[in-house]
Amino acid sequence: MDGRADALIVEQVLAGDVEAFATLVKRYRDRCARYAMHMLGNREDADEVLQDAFVRAYRSLGRCEDPDRFGAWLFRILVNRCRTAGARRARRARTFLADEVALLTASEEHPAEQWAWREEIERALAELRSEQREAFLLKYVEGLGYDEMAELTGIGVSALKMRVMRACDRLRVLLKEVRSA
Amino acid sequence: MPEVNKFQMDELVSELRRPAPFDASFDKRVMRAIRSVAMQPLRIITPLMPLPRWRVWSAFAAVAIGMVAVSVLPGMRVAHGHPVQFVLVAPDAKTVQVVGDFNGWDVRHAAYAAENRGGGVWSLTTPIPPGHHRYAFLVDDSLWVPDPAAPRVADEDFGMPNSALVVEDTP
Repeated sequence: MDGRADALIVEQVLAGDVEAFATLVKRYRDRCARYAMHMLGNREDADEVLQDAFVRAYRSLGRCEDPDRFGAWLFRILVNRCRTAGARRARRARTFLADEVALLTASEEHPAEQWAWREEIERALAELRSEQREAFLLKYVEGLGYDEMAELTGIGVSALKMRVMRACDRLRVLLKEVRSA
Repeated sequence: MPEVNKFQMDELVSELRRPAPFDASFDKRVMRAIRSVAMQPLRIITPLMPLPRWRVWSAFAAVAIGMVAVSVLPGMRVAHGHPVQFVLVAPDAKTVQVVGDFNGWDVRHAAYAAENRGGGVWSLTTPIPPGHHRYAFLVDDSLWVPDPAAPRVADEDFGMPNSALVVEDTP
């Protein structure tokens, strides 16, 4: 475990130590991968977008205003890349692709039950409008406050609350439908 | 979430919070890409100042003194594009650099350093290739400023405002 602070690593990278960036990749990869997978619905797109986000972060590292919060800055890039990719690929076969996310993230315990539950969740998530999915994931999966979300997305707090509420309502209905089927 | 079945939502969130690990090859692929990018110089810009140390006059002021912030000068086409004049009114600035996609966002490109024309007016005329471009001014190597007299576009990565420029492909 590399305990160096983000700011120190950023400083080293800017000073020319390219390999130091690998620590930042390792540190933030899993969290970013989870978000990208849930937003885009498949591993291939998530992989591409995440790689792009890291490369863009590297190229623009000098524009990172607060290197101590490199993770938040990187996440902002990722959210924007996911939006761009999502708009471009427009929910391509999300119903099928949601299975892939469920499979990749399913628990090894009780695999059959877990798989089915994951599949239900991913299918429900895929049914949300992208802006609702984004708001829901940022709020409940990434655990951000509304102020942080507003800063990250450029959307007002009231609008974000509305999106989260609608996402919750929709998810509740979708999961209820599945369970009662 | 009072309107949502809390138990079910907690269950859902708990599932969604499970890591979605990428295989070990991901890090290697990213670092390969980073190393290839590293062959090019980093675009280093120092952090934004909390408060501007200089004044940017409004677009109206710029127009009032007879300067057009971005204009394509007709009849002056050169080999690498049309001459475009960039103007920023920044009386307290020490340096003003034009940075944009047309120069690889290079903050130190000598050919894109604006000159102080007096009265706080900084100007640069340089050929820009036809097409849609994004750009901004970098003041004193520290302050990223969109052109006050040009349309703005959000930077797709950072949400930072840049200015938009369209250079027509006309003879």
